[in-house]
Amino acid sequence: MNGIYLSRLPWSGKVFCTLYLLGIGCGALAAFTQAATAIGLSPADVQASLAPAMPMTHMSAGQMMGEKEITLGEVSSAAKVWIRTPLLIQTSHTHLFGQTLIAGLLGLIFLFASVREWLKALILALPFVGTLMDIGGMWLTRFVWPGLSVLVIAGGSLFALGYALITVISLWQLWIGTAVRAAGRRGAGAPPSEASL
Amino acid sequence: MSGAVMLAGVAWAHITPPVVLMSDRDAIVTLLAGAQRFFVREVRLSRSEQAQIKQQTGWTPDEDFYRFYLGRDGQGRLVAGTIFVTEFTVHGPIRIAVSLGPDGKVRGAAVVELTEETYPWVKPLIDRDFARDYAGQDSRGHFHLSARLGNLEAMPQFYGQVIASLIQRAALLYDVGVLKRGDAS
Repeated sequence: MNGIYLSRLPWSGKVFCTLYLLGIGCGALAAFTQAATAIGLSPADVQASLAPAMPMTHMSAGQMMGEKEITLGEVSSAAKVWIRTPLLIQTSHTHLFGQTLIAGLLGLIFLFASVREWLKALILALPFVGTLMDIGGMWLTRFVWPGLSVLVIAGGSLFALGYALITVISLWQLWIGTAVRAAGRRGAGAPPSEASL
Repeated sequence: MSGAVMLAGVAWAHITPPVVLMSDRDAIVTLLAGAQRFFVREVRLSRSEQAQIKQQTGWTPDEDFYRFYLGRDGQGRLVAGTIFVTEFTVHGPIRIAVSLGPDGKVRGAAVVELTEETYPWVKPLIDRDFARDYAGQDSRGHFHLSARLGNLEAMPQFYGQVIASLIQRAALLYDVGVLKRGDAS
């Protein structure tokens, strides 16, 4: 972009981009583990933590009280995190700021990759769209329909896919320099094509 | 510059990950010790019941319904009830389970869930068996930090007060949802 390409960055730029991408990758792995242990990774797990609590007693809407005998087996033995609206507000604002900043810096690095323009736009949009789908899915699960918990999983997966593509392509171009080789094939001194990948 | 300010803001505002100290089942088994049969009762509060609780504590119950786990003996007599209550602090949620007897008096309490940040502040309270200060009190009791916990640092004292308020809420909800509505056994 504007004559600046990942493959032509000075060493300081390459080291910065590489360490940032690796650092975010470690953070993403930690976040994945955290989500897996605290909530779970299936739509049903997300639903159990986010969806409004349903009566166990079959108490209907408008009914003031219900009671039934249970066995202890009906009570969750899993150590589960219950995400209620105040926590959802807290989680949303921190994650929307945090993930959007991460997506922004990933996108900023990827702007200098030698990739077809439409593909670049598509790939750098993935972490942003994933973030909105992830957090939006939490609200929709809680207030619209519990089945929409699938959006939370899909959003997280989109974010991860975007990160993985940006990291692999960027690291390849930073250190292996396909753009430079491509440019070399086109003639010495010519700038690398935006469509070299 | 603005990015740095935003990053600092995010770092400052970030809620640390949850720490779950026990499952709901473990809390019920522990707090309803002596019960042979277990029941779940779910109660929707009327406007007058909500107003009564707000008048006593300043807290407005806002859940669609409240769930009580009731333990009974072999003859169906109420041994104790347990309710889970949560406060959402600026450091994240703290959720406790409170056990109350058939007379509406607190039998015990246990911290079920908190956050990494709050754990070091709440641990001194758990280590000092905070619940024993409220055992035997009903919803009209004094739910303040006891003198024996007065030598703790500021944050444990703050969370001690949060927990005391939660125990009072539980006692009030139990009063309204279980005792005043009658024992359905």
